[in-house]
Amino acid sequence: MAGRRIMLELVSLLVICISQTSHGFTLFSSLNRTLAVDSSATAGQVLKAGEDTITVTWAYKGTDDSSYKTVEIHLCYAPISQKDRGWRRTADNLEKDKTCPLLVVASPYSPSSRNGSFVWLVEEDVPPATYFIRAYALDAGSHRLGYGQTTDDEKATNLFEVVAVTGRHASLAIASACFSAFSVVSFAGLLAAEKIGGKTM
Amino acid sequence: MKDAYTTKGKSTLVLCHFFLPFSLEFVWCTLNFKHGHTMGPPDSVAIPPAKFSMPVDSEHKATEFRLFSIAKPHMRAFHLSWISFFSCFVSSFAAPPLIPIIRDDLNLTATDIGNAGIASVSGAVFARVAMGTACDLFGPRLASASLILLTAPAVYFTSIASSPISFLLVRFFTGFSLATFVSTQFWMSSMFSANVVGTANGLSGGWGNLGGGATQLIMPLVFAVIRDVGAVKFTAWRIAFIIPALFQTMTAFAVILFGQDLPDGNFQKLHKDGDKPKDDFSKVFYHGVSNYRGWILALTYGYCFGVELTVDNIIAEYFYDRFDLKLHTAGIIAATFGLANLFSRPFGGLLSDVVAKRFGMRGRLWTLWTVQTIGGILCVILGRVESLGSSIAVMVAFSIFCQAACGLTFGVVPFVSRRSLGVISGMTGGGGNVGAVVTQLIFFKGSKYSKETGITLMGIMIICCTLSICLIHFPQWGGMFSGPTSNKDFSEEDYYLSEWSSHEKDRGFHHGSLKFADNSRSGRGKRSVASTTPAACTSPIHPSLASDSL
Repeated sequence: MAGRRIMLELVSLLVICISQTSHGFTLFSSLNRTLAVDSSATAGQVLKAGEDTITVTWAYKGTDDSSYKTVEIHLCYAPISQKDRGWRRTADNLEKDKTCPLLVVASPYSPSSRNGSFVWLVEEDVPPATYFIRAYALDAGSHRLGYGQTTDDEKATNLFEVVAVTGRHASLAIASACFSAFSVVSFAGLLAAEKIGGKTM
Repeated sequence: MKDAYTTKGKSTLVLCHFFLPFSLEFVWCTLNFKHGHTMGPPDSVAIPPAKFSMPVDSEHKATEFRLFSIAKPHMRAFHLSWISFFSCFVSSFAAPPLIPIIRDDLNLTATDIGNAGIASVSGAVFARVAMGTACDLFGPRLASASLILLTAPAVYFTSIASSPISFLLVRFFTGFSLATFVSTQFWMSSMFSANVVGTANGLSGGWGNLGGGATQLIMPLVFAVIRDVGAVKFTAWRIAFIIPALFQTMTAFAVILFGQDLPDGNFQKLHKDGDKPKDDFSKVFYHGVSNYRGWILALTYGYCFGVELTVDNIIAEYFYDRFDLKLHTAGIIAATFGLANLFSRPFGGLLSDVVAKRFGMRGRLWTLWTVQTIGGILCVILGRVESLGSSIAVMVAFSIFCQAACGLTFGVVPFVSRRSLGVISGMTGGGGNVGAVVTQLIFFKGSKYSKETGITLMGIMIICCTLSICLIHFPQWGGMFSGPTSNKDFSEEDYYLSEWSSHEKDRGFHHGSLKFADNSRSGRGKRSVASTTPAACTSPIHPSLASDSL
């Protein structure tokens, strides 16, 4: 049963791989910075996951936006949060790039207004780290054509922090403490019982 | 004169030979050589006739092994011991499959994760030293239940870990629970007679080791269920840890309530037989550490068993990151590595025996070198393959060869020394853990190497370190590239009795080694066996052991 499940997952993975390879990979260095992206999060601001919101605005500042169909807004790790964390590394090949873990929103691009905005409630499970916002412009075939980001090319300015809910709850701490105390008391009881038993032998 | 030293030594030989998924430390040496007493009341003490549902010998140890029975006390002890050991493995390796979630929650770096992995396997080194002595003094039931109860809080407190340091500490203290291996083997040796003790020890140890694989399946599933019920993922992983902790606590209670140390009851101070030779710990220790073969096997075991522990720690995260799998998919794949222990380890031990029938010790050494080197080659390939399917296939093949090499190692260990068997076993086993620590320190700590590069380099290190098996030479049997010493007719007796001084021989301490030397003539292989006693034709697990224990 587990074997069959693995097979199904592998087959679906294969299908995904094939479909992805069919539209090739894009290099980040080949993209032009055609979007001006701004966010309400100021440099150094600390946002609470699950509570605070970010307003992202973008505007087109290039010359040819005829193929633009969708704008994707991503939350991306700043270099300080990528340090010594290989699973968040930046790669030029966007298929392998792990800089941007979270898609905030994918909204249609409106050719008439050439801009847009979105208010995003920072989700509870956003990991605590330092971030910036990046927007990609995609065509109808989901190929990335251009980008924009709230920081500079070195990703050093205008970075903000998210402080996450740790997931620790008082009830969990109390439960852990109680169970642990029960374990230790049981151990003490066991010793006492054995000592009593030993004396009668 | 009843030579209980021989009996116990041979029981140890049998259990070493079968397979040891975990190490025997100096503690085992302590058990065997410091306290020269039997595992039961002497025959001279009148025991009221007890009713057992299985055939037993004069010490009331079972002479049969019935896997699907829970008859009191023997089979019940078996099931209690392997389940409690299994639960300790589940707890110790519960974190690795959830690392992708934990690392985001606690903001861990690759260095933090590596350090915690190293801590998880180094904790047991300290614990095992204490565990063997505790078994000897208090009995395996009390010793193992106590350790399990005392380490359960570490697993509960994993739920409230809040920083890299607290995460490292909980993994360190949870790892102490792996010392239950010692109590498992001790308990089986108390309950089962020599002819089945190898099976009992091998199965209880091997099935306990399965926990390292099972946990890679269990934890992502438990996490998914809790998250689907409604918890945020950073809370769900914390709640998930309560499950292995509870399971561990329950097994401790089961051991206390349903287990007993000895077939006749719980542990009592054993009577020392006045004319039983009690060996000198310092001499035993000296003969163990001065035997270079023990050091070589310690090194090579570090590169089969140590590699196994390392892979248990890193493989789920590796599949998750490299192939962008879902957490529970990565867990399933990682689990297959540990689950292969069900058969691959005993297969290694069996293979060693089969080869030895024809080719003796030289065959054992060659097979060990071959299997472990193939394991190393597969490890190199594992780091190089690009696709998911081939990675899984290579990993499964790698796990079989790696674990078979562990079984094969303990086909050689019993022959290195007779007097210091426990020390050699302890050195080999300890080398396994040291290998895990060193490998994780060099290749899997921090971001110096990507995981795939680390795996490839680990494979190269396996191949290089395994070459040292070429240096092992037994004067009476030869080595990989050399025949037996030809300048004098060096026999098995000469080798094993060289561990005793003439003064000790005068006092008859060496009789056990003499019997063992006779039994070990199978190390010559088929060509020479015809010229020796028929009883030595087979592997060291043979009928004279059973007769000695009566």
